[in-house]
Amino acid sequence: MEKQTITFTLNGLPVELVVDPGARLVDVLREELDLTGTKEGCGQGECGACTVLVDGQAVNSCLVLVGQVQGREVITVEGLAKDGILDPLQEAFITEGAVQCGYCTPGMLLSAKALLMKNPFPSEEEIKEAIAGNLCRCTGYVKIVKAIQTAAARQGNCSTGS
Amino acid sequence: MTLKWIGKPVPRQDAGGKVTGATRFMSDLSFPGMLWGRVLRSRYPHALIKSIDTGEAARLPGVVAVLTHHDVPGLNGYGIVVQDQPVLCSDKVRYMGDAVALVAAETKEIAARALELIRVEYEELPGVFDPEEAMQAGAPQVHATGNIFRHTAVAHGDVEAAFAEADVIVENVYRTSRQMPAFLETEGGVALLDAGGLLTVWCGSQYPDRDVIQIARALGMANEKIRVIANPVGGGFGGKDEVTIQIHLALLAMKTMRPVKIVLSREESVVTGWKKHPMVIRMKTGARRDGSLVAHQVTIVSDTGAYASLGGTILNSAIEHCSGPYRVPNVQVDGYCVYTNNSVSGAMRGFGVNQVTFAMETQMEILAEKLAMDRLAIRLKNGLQQGDKGALGNDLVTAMGPVPTLAAAGATDLWRQREVYKANPSRPWKRRGVGLAAAIKGCGLGFRLPDFGTATIELLPGGYFRVGVGCPEIGQGNSIAYAQMAAEVLGCPVDQVEVVTGDTAATPDSGTSTASRSVYVAGNAIIIAGQRMRERLREVAAAELNVPAGEIDLCEGLAAAGGKSISYTQLAARMLAGGKDCRELGRFHSPKADQEIAGAYGLPHLVFGTHAHVVLVEVDTLTGQVEVLETVALPDAGRVINRQGLEGQSEGGTLMGMGYALSEEVVLEKGVTKTLNFNNYIIPTAVDAPPVATIPVEVMEQTGPFGAKGIGEAVCISITPAITNAIYDAVGVRITELPANLERVLAGMQTCGIR
Repeated sequence: MEKQTITFTLNGLPVELVVDPGARLVDVLREELDLTGTKEGCGQGECGACTVLVDGQAVNSCLVLVGQVQGREVITVEGLAKDGILDPLQEAFITEGAVQCGYCTPGMLLSAKALLMKNPFPSEEEIKEAIAGNLCRCTGYVKIVKAIQTAAARQGNCSTGS
Repeated sequence: MTLKWIGKPVPRQDAGGKVTGATRFMSDLSFPGMLWGRVLRSRYPHALIKSIDTGEAARLPGVVAVLTHHDVPGLNGYGIVVQDQPVLCSDKVRYMGDAVALVAAETKEIAARALELIRVEYEELPGVFDPEEAMQAGAPQVHATGNIFRHTAVAHGDVEAAFAEADVIVENVYRTSRQMPAFLETEGGVALLDAGGLLTVWCGSQYPDRDVIQIARALGMANEKIRVIANPVGGGFGGKDEVTIQIHLALLAMKTMRPVKIVLSREESVVTGWKKHPMVIRMKTGARRDGSLVAHQVTIVSDTGAYASLGGTILNSAIEHCSGPYRVPNVQVDGYCVYTNNSVSGAMRGFGVNQVTFAMETQMEILAEKLAMDRLAIRLKNGLQQGDKGALGNDLVTAMGPVPTLAAAGATDLWRQREVYKANPSRPWKRRGVGLAAAIKGCGLGFRLPDFGTATIELLPGGYFRVGVGCPEIGQGNSIAYAQMAAEVLGCPVDQVEVVTGDTAATPDSGTSTASRSVYVAGNAIIIAGQRMRERLREVAAAELNVPAGEIDLCEGLAAAGGKSISYTQLAARMLAGGKDCRELGRFHSPKADQEIAGAYGLPHLVFGTHAHVVLVEVDTLTGQVEVLETVALPDAGRVINRQGLEGQSEGGTLMGMGYALSEEVVLEKGVTKTLNFNNYIIPTAVDAPPVATIPVEVMEQTGPFGAKGIGEAVCISITPAITNAIYDAVGVRITELPANLERVLAGMQTCGIR
């Protein structure tokens, strides 16, 4: 397909790219923009390793074409920390031991982020449902679920406090 | 001994980079001028190659190189044990994953198009896809050497006489499925030849130092001209122990003189990659009325697929563990590792022990039932103890965990109150059951192979230390265990220790990150290197403080004696002054058994980890679906180095073994893989995942670092039969074939009249 100018917001900053609009978002992120935090594990939307947020929705970036994010807001794992301060989810993944090989971690974090943005006090079942599309082969999910609970609790405390 | 860092829940040092996306995996790397590589795979599971025409592909604009077997300068073969797998096939293909040609092109799209333009003329051959058929006379021959790659026959005691004395005999055939590692990061990486003639290959691997040897052999290069880096690795589970794409990357980089990247698609990874050996296991087990096992006769036929890799060694590991964690005085085993035209089997978490333990732990349940004994009591009665003989007559001289681990399993609430847990299924048509099983798994490489750990510790400016160990971090958490062990020995805060793994230019060869070995061997090496570093620190501190070295206490980053102290920061300034370096190396050789078991290459192991599981399942009698509701995992890893890390292994292993029990199966039809991706190769998701309560059983291993032993594989073994035993407890269906999917459970319920 002929290249076109695509503009969108990426991790809070405007970007303008001249690309094939039919290119997969995961490829544009990884290869054009060198944002390799977004991983590819299956290429067909089954494993969730490539999960990013588009307008706050968790999507598989292997199933999204870059033309589809024209004018929208994309957040990748590189955009979770703000000014060097980790997101509570990132903090909790470290302290709860939710990271092993780490290849599923970015996608997990973003699915969890999408959940907490919509539902700050999710039940365990809601957490499991939210990350059901993110496969992890190392952890057995136990500590990932715990980390999301911990982050939710922390955020809850913060919002109560402020 | 008061321990400062051992056993503490120290967060992993690599987690920070992994949660921000800053960490680059090998498949994330790119370089200016980089080309994309692709591999042309076979079109048939078994065929002769008549001709390969690369002309049209080579002429496609943007294609930089097309390579065939003619372009392999050295040995056109690889394999950890025997080099029976061609780097690029010349005259014959033996499975669908065989590599026939390589392409390097300016873009991925051009590389893909070039593959389509390579003309390969094949003459298809009849294939052999059933390992038992492959053993018959007249079967199609996968290799000229015959289809039986290894036959191991071992016996201990007099099985026939013992069966004659047995009060009860149980005989069954068990079939296990082809499970795949399903690491989330597929095989991927980059190779680059630099101006100095050094070829660097960045690629996910479990043993970069051996990759160097295999690359060098195929390329006809000196080992010293090759560097392999595998840090970090997005999951291994055995599937990255053998070479995957390293030699292909190296060939393309040498030919094009440009950086070349290959990342396998999930589908290509599934077709080509190393998987768990499917086995057909015939087991006949005899016991006395009091439950004591007297005789065990086992035949194993193991499908290694088209190439051997570690198939022979895995067969022997299965044989060594064929009586599970139990004592049997008379054992006879006949095992065959057989070539077929199926997908290749190799190392995968458990190394042959999952299969036989599933079989043995089912035999134990049937024996208990026939003898009207308690399922736990028969296990405790026969549990292996230090001083016993193992299945092959080997003396078990190290600490053995089965009895305390089983006892701890028996003491769990889930086991003691099992009738309460079973009493109220969630729906009237569902039934609940509780199952129990245990496993042992040898740590390390066994009798024959050199089994060593090597570690370097370097003093850095500021009083920091860098620990180098070759065994890659593949997610299991060896790095944080190394940091904690080093901090303990060096007497410094753990955050003053950094760990480097998996880089042949920066870390000493410490063997492979497999076989539940990396904490055991490298931990011991770190202790040796650390003690040497302590002596150096003490010597310099003694001179500075003017006290005898023997009086100096090293703690919290300080060398102190008689009320005086000097910090490691100050010591480092003295010791590194003038650009000196201060580095110590420790090397540990694993102790071996007194003698090899006759006729069984590489056996026995000396040190064993133990694991038990208790599970609660709920079976839907309408659909056959099995849900795992609760699990208790009881690992005996000896001394726990990092509780959080152990739990992570235990929880992840539990889920992997649950997938093996219930859903995971790579399906092949006449050599063609049907389950190519996660849409129909079903690994458990967060919704399927049960709670896992981990209860460590610390049976100290005298030869282990701080008493630790390996556990990375045992964690995924006992869960499988614990689940199938729980299914029997729930609905009376005896699972003898894995996985226990809906169809099998449903069919079983129909046979036994539940439906």
